[in-house]
Amino acid sequence: MQEKDSDSEITAEPVVGGLSRRARIIRKLTFIIPVTILSLIVLVAIFADLAWLGFPDVGLAPYDPVKISLPDRLMPPFWAEEGSTAHLLGTDKMGRDILSRLLFGARISLSVSLLVILITSSIGTMLGIIGGYLGGRIEAFLMRITDISMAFPPILVAMLLVVSMGPSFLTVVLAISLLGWAPYARLIRGETLRLREMDFVAQARIIGTSPFRIMLRHIFPNIINPLIIIMTLQIGLLIIVEASLSFLGVGIPPPAPSWGNMVNDGRNLVDTAWWISTFPGIAIGLVVMSGNFFGDWLRDRLDPKLRQL
Amino acid sequence: MSKILLQVEDLHTSFFTRAGEVKAVDGVSFHVREGETFGLVGESACGKTVTGLSLLRLLPEPAGRIVGGKIILDGTNLLELSKKEMRKIRGKKISMILQDPMTSLNPVYTVGDQIAESIRLHQNLHDDNMVEKEVISALRLLKIPAPEQRLHDYPFQMSGGMRQRVVGAIAMSCRPRLLIADEPTTALDATIQAQYIALFKDIQKNTNVAIIFITHDFGVVANMCHRVAVMYAGKIVETATTRTIFKASKHPYTRALIDSVPRLDRKDDRLYSIKGQPPSLLNLPPGCRFSPRCSVAQEVCHQQEPPEVEIGDGHSVSCWGVK
Amino acid sequence: MADVLLEGRDLTKHYPVSKGLLQRTVGWVRAVDGISFTIERGKTLSLVGESGAGKTTTAKAVLLLEKLTSGNIFFEGKDVYRFTNSQLKTEYRPRVQSVQQNPWSSMNPRMRVRDIIAEPLVVNTKKSKQEIRSRVLELLEQVGLSPNHADYYPHEFSGGQRQRIAVARALALNPSLVVLDEPVSALDVSIRAQIMNLLKDLQGQYNLSYLVIAHNLATVRYMSHSVAIMYLGQIVEYGEAEELFQRPLHPYTKALISASILTLPEEDGQEAKQIILSGEMPSPLNPPPGCRFHTRCVQAMDICSKVVPQVRVVGQQRVKCHIYADPSVSPGSS
Repeated sequence: MQEKDSDSEITAEPVVGGLSRRARIIRKLTFIIPVTILSLIVLVAIFADLAWLGFPDVGLAPYDPVKISLPDRLMPPFWAEEGSTAHLLGTDKMGRDILSRLLFGARISLSVSLLVILITSSIGTMLGIIGGYLGGRIEAFLMRITDISMAFPPILVAMLLVVSMGPSFLTVVLAISLLGWAPYARLIRGETLRLREMDFVAQARIIGTSPFRIMLRHIFPNIINPLIIIMTLQIGLLIIVEASLSFLGVGIPPPAPSWGNMVNDGRNLVDTAWWISTFPGIAIGLVVMSGNFFGDWLRDRLDPKLRQL
Repeated sequence: MSKILLQVEDLHTSFFTRAGEVKAVDGVSFHVREGETFGLVGESACGKTVTGLSLLRLLPEPAGRIVGGKIILDGTNLLELSKKEMRKIRGKKISMILQDPMTSLNPVYTVGDQIAESIRLHQNLHDDNMVEKEVISALRLLKIPAPEQRLHDYPFQMSGGMRQRVVGAIAMSCRPRLLIADEPTTALDATIQAQYIALFKDIQKNTNVAIIFITHDFGVVANMCHRVAVMYAGKIVETATTRTIFKASKHPYTRALIDSVPRLDRKDDRLYSIKGQPPSLLNLPPGCRFSPRCSVAQEVCHQQEPPEVEIGDGHSVSCWGVK
Repeated sequence: MADVLLEGRDLTKHYPVSKGLLQRTVGWVRAVDGISFTIERGKTLSLVGESGAGKTTTAKAVLLLEKLTSGNIFFEGKDVYRFTNSQLKTEYRPRVQSVQQNPWSSMNPRMRVRDIIAEPLVVNTKKSKQEIRSRVLELLEQVGLSPNHADYYPHEFSGGQRQRIAVARALALNPSLVVLDEPVSALDVSIRAQIMNLLKDLQGQYNLSYLVIAHNLATVRYMSHSVAIMYLGQIVEYGEAEELFQRPLHPYTKALISASILTLPEEDGQEAKQIILSGEMPSPLNPPPGCRFHTRCVQAMDICSKVVPQVRVVGQQRVKCHIYADPSVSPGSS
């Protein structure tokens, strides 16, 4: 930055919206790119096949993800020698098409993630609001439970649960949810404490509003913003948790593909059949990054001063 | 009459927002003499605070920018200085006090450290003893009792009134020529406010500092200022001595404003209230900005902005209704 | 015989101060310390004082947001602390409403204006949606807003307009008493007059009583019928507004008036008459012995630091000051 001329306040160019053109473009991109990626992945997950509409053989995925075809095993992606366009991203050691497994894996990994978010946010928010608003012994009790559950190592506990209940889609979801609500409870309780002191809550009490109605009508709508932000940031996190469980062998049981167990499958073949772990790995990375960028963008957008969506 | 210290000519400051250009200060001119207190009065969003910030070139970038005019301090146009040169002016020649003493002071440093920061920067003193002497002198100027002990205190250990004095001490530590005070008494209780104003009058006598006092409170203006400029929607509508403003103001807004303030020295049956609200700076009315709310507005008022006209000894008004 | 709507008798509120790991109580903040006042039907009582005087605490006690340490509140002659919960819900709360100081935080930013104003009705009455809707529109008109304002959110309005909405909400249940905590201090100067005029008009129309908490004496003079000056948790002077402002008795009242009155510079003699108090209000944790004001009082006598002054009746005013202990001292002397 030059010191003399460009510092004279008046000669510099006016900027629009408080940001230079460059900054505005970057800001738009940090929203568009992650949202596009996430939307694409969701679409892919939905349209991997149309069995849910009654057309099991129609869909984006070229093959049945669990169909074994030993003659075709360990084929590399189509651009490599020995690759073929029949299997664009190659096959794994059972001859199953990687691309198809990737697409169906999206369905499974995302479902786990979204279900867990739904369950944990509901429970955590309820406990956070009730504890935060009512205070006293109820709050103390709920917060102690929260603290206790945060003291356990989540992956370990999830592992134990899956092993004891037997691995399946449902058990994985439940296992991850069991401890996942605690961070929500913590945060929402904090927000509730802040809101509880606000004038409009005092006003509601003056009118004679019941605590239940205050929590529902006054507290809850005002914690939606921070809640949405956490939820968005959790998307990526949960995919990794599920992937970790699968990687450790206690995730979604084979042959159903999840990105996590696909990475696990290719773990010992990284030097020879690199494509088996790499593509699901990239997919996980993309979702995590997109989720995080989107969450950050949301956090900036939902300026606390405005508290508006 | 003392000589003119600060001359502001046709100052234009705007904020560039997503919704458009907000002309917060739209052609403001005034001057301040050495040793006098000049009041900038108006309601919220009239541009008084932005004017104060513009003088120090402390606008929030990149949205806020001075887009025109001159600010001449002691013969130098401040708008032509580089950032480095401007930093030398801030604190040393011009200083500022803001409204909220809680956020003006850094809670993790002692009061003495915060005053010392300014002294070290501007007076090039490095000897700790010398610096401490100056700090104590600044505290004494603001009549803070037991300054030798107080300089080790943290802001949270002091009351609101005391903190505001510390802020004053920081501002005065390098004995600036001009002090800009932005609503410094608004957060203070009435009796503390009275103390504070008396204190500043004293300081002014002792140091001959010129003060620009930004406020919405006419009581404070009456007590503190020699001359006053009334601002509305980014422009100055009337400038005069304090006495004239209260006893013989000519602009309808000034009169209406003074009439709408309840008086303690008499019982009002009904307060005059100005209908409507101040305009949005994004959507200014055509002609005189006050015309939609003015009880004596004429045709021309809604069409053309009135020019500033000098009508008497230092008394100028911008109003078609005044000849 | 004055028609007393609400009476506060010897209201006291002490907050415990705890310290240390074991949270032992080491002292008490004597926020409100034995104050008594009456509010008549259709009239305004203002509680005036600087920060720390205890006026907000008193307001909260009247609104039952804080529980008193001791003392009684009588509403239409009945002891409020003896009301059952359901009596409170049907007989007290709907009749005692509030308008708060900060128009930006007193409304749920996620609710539309029509829901904000309707809420008291929804919570307390069994009126139909239709009835509520028309009452909301009626109230909006009462406070000078238009019907289409009902669908907007609070942040779309200016401060003055928001206070109007707050007033509309306060009136929804047809209260007898409205507690106004600094109703205009957060508003622009030219808007204050609008709101104060509105409040006065509504008072006349509905025979409303107001309990106004304020620190601005001029506002108080304009709005009030009776005034109580508070200092460090106690009422130091109490009486009819006009009497009090024309013939203030307590040295603190005189200092407050002096600090608030508009005095132009160069006016002969005015400078000399200004009373500037030294020091600041002491902490309510440790009020000074004897008369609490003696540390700052320009007229303090020896007895003031030792003996708590009694409340004396001088003319129509009540004052808590040793100067008036001697009945031969006339109210006019300063």
